[in-house]
Amino acid sequence: MVAAASTDTVLPSSGGTVLSVLKKPSVIPGFGLTLGFTLTYLGLIVLLPLAALTIKAGGLGWSGFWNAVLTPRVLSAFQVSFGLSLAAAAVNAVFGFIVAWVLVRYRFPGHRIVDALVDLPFALPTAVAGIALSALYAPNGWIGKLLMDWFGLKVAFTPIGIAIALTFIGLPFVVRTVQPILQDLPPEEEEAAASLGASRWQTFSRVVFPALLPALVTGFALAFARAVGEYGSVIFIAGNMPGISEIVPLLIVIKLEQYDYGGAAAVGTMMLVVSFFLLLILNLLQAWMRWRHAR
Amino acid sequence: MAIQVSGITKRFGSYLALDSVDLEVRSGELLALLGPSGSGKTTLLRIMAGLEHADAGSLQLHGEEALGLKPRERQVGFVFQHYALFRHMTVFDNIAFGLKVRPRGQRFASAEIKRRVMELLELVQLAHFADRYPAQLSGGQRQRVALARALAIEPKVLLLDEPFGALDAKVRKELRRWLRKLHDDIHVTSVFVTHDQEEALELADRVVVMSQGRIEQVGSPAEVYDHPASAFVYEFLGQVNRFDCAVEDGVAKAANGALSIATDGAVQGPAIAYVRPHDLGLSPTVGGPGRVSSIQVVGPDARIEVDLAGLVLEAEMDRERLGVLGLSPGDRCAVHIDRARVFARR
Repeated sequence: MVAAASTDTVLPSSGGTVLSVLKKPSVIPGFGLTLGFTLTYLGLIVLLPLAALTIKAGGLGWSGFWNAVLTPRVLSAFQVSFGLSLAAAAVNAVFGFIVAWVLVRYRFPGHRIVDALVDLPFALPTAVAGIALSALYAPNGWIGKLLMDWFGLKVAFTPIGIAIALTFIGLPFVVRTVQPILQDLPPEEEEAAASLGASRWQTFSRVVFPALLPALVTGFALAFARAVGEYGSVIFIAGNMPGISEIVPLLIVIKLEQYDYGGAAAVGTMMLVVSFFLLLILNLLQAWMRWRHAR
Repeated sequence: MAIQVSGITKRFGSYLALDSVDLEVRSGELLALLGPSGSGKTTLLRIMAGLEHADAGSLQLHGEEALGLKPRERQVGFVFQHYALFRHMTVFDNIAFGLKVRPRGQRFASAEIKRRVMELLELVQLAHFADRYPAQLSGGQRQRVALARALAIEPKVLLLDEPFGALDAKVRKELRRWLRKLHDDIHVTSVFVTHDQEEALELADRVVVMSQGRIEQVGSPAEVYDHPASAFVYEFLGQVNRFDCAVEDGVAKAANGALSIATDGAVQGPAIAYVRPHDLGLSPTVGGPGRVSSIQVVGPDARIEVDLAGLVLEAEMDRERLGVLGLSPGDRCAVHIDRARVFARR
């Protein structure tokens, strides 16, 4: 601690005082180096492209920006993209949780194969997934035909199809975030609950689930973020009807194809802002949950 | 009789963890299950709580057959070695848990729950910590919370699995005394598992010594220490010198005849003798059969290693006595054995 404090005071530039404000005395070395590296790396890989996007959109001016964004077609695309991404992430939160639960808690023949299958949506090219899904769910496909005959439900080329594609690609995120936490959950807590008189359901809802909730929210946020940015699988199954089943990433591509670079940048920037705030909220929620019991 | 265990057997695969164990726990007593790891003591405790299924036998809690009951139907308080507190709940909510999960008809009003929890917090001296989370407490505090949580359901029996195992030496000692005092105040029938003989002897009313899935001896701490029923108990409780000997006409001879010990006469032929270090007397004798090979001073005590014609024995005495004898390494001495126990070789 003494050594760390003295190096801070020796640093002559204003950078030294900034560092000493940011830095708490610690025995872990390399704060300045790693912070510098992190900021540079983040700047080059993440912030620079985003800044370029924002500057491009800024070329339209304030009113030009809003004119590009606040059209009925763009607004409904936002509704489709964010609404269906949230829905798909919610579906994944429920069923991904069950998959993780089964994979951790039970041993059955083919356990390892199922475990490996979960990762497939990570690896499969999304266009392949989209084509496979639309072939299955098309009115003449295996599942699409049954749904059509039994319920009169049209899935492919409607928003429901989009939700299915987004669910497909988001599943591994929930499973893989919940799984390790569930694995590390000490059985003693459940045994303690049982000996204190709790039923299986009370043990699950009051002891197990709250312990897993932060991980579940993380998985939900990841699945959601992935779904918002998804392009490849959706365009094959969506039908892409403006105002009904057109997602924002597709709209941006369409604008680019029409040489409307400013408009594309404006929509992209808007998407960035909305995504950022939704993820920020999810992160704060998580931080709050962790803060409650991990101090 | 609070707990009656008869013929309890438990296998894990081909490993026999409990071999037809019989045990009675008296109402209001504090009983220690003592044994090395793998002796089956924790398995027996977990079977009492219903956290493990017995393969055969019967278990009665207050005269009622309990093996068929689920853990939550047994009214047994269980305290775990690593506390097993609910991490996302405050201390208050942890202790209130058992009261809040009761079926609707039997549940207390929330004001009554609060009163009871605060009373328990007073009992475990943590009244100021009601709003803390387990992660903010020290090990000793967490174990006291775990104890209060187990007591909240007013258990018929309190079971503790190595309750001090995860604590450092000083806290362990304090908490041990505190638990003894608490037990003297509330007298709930308690069974605790430990591998620490000092803990068992200091804390328990009665000690059950276990080894390899069987009970070796049951008795008061003084009984099991002074009159071990088997070679295992002798070796497990306290320091002991163990050596081969041959018994003829009630006299055990060891170290090529350099050592003779009178026995009670029940054993004949090749045998193993056990002598506690403090039952070994030394007196400086020029040309005596023993030679002091080393002296170690630990606090107020001295441990003296004596070489008796190739047989190495350890004697223990206080430093004052050692000073009077004036022994130092290399000196010759005579060895007397005040008390020994001889078991036939199996």
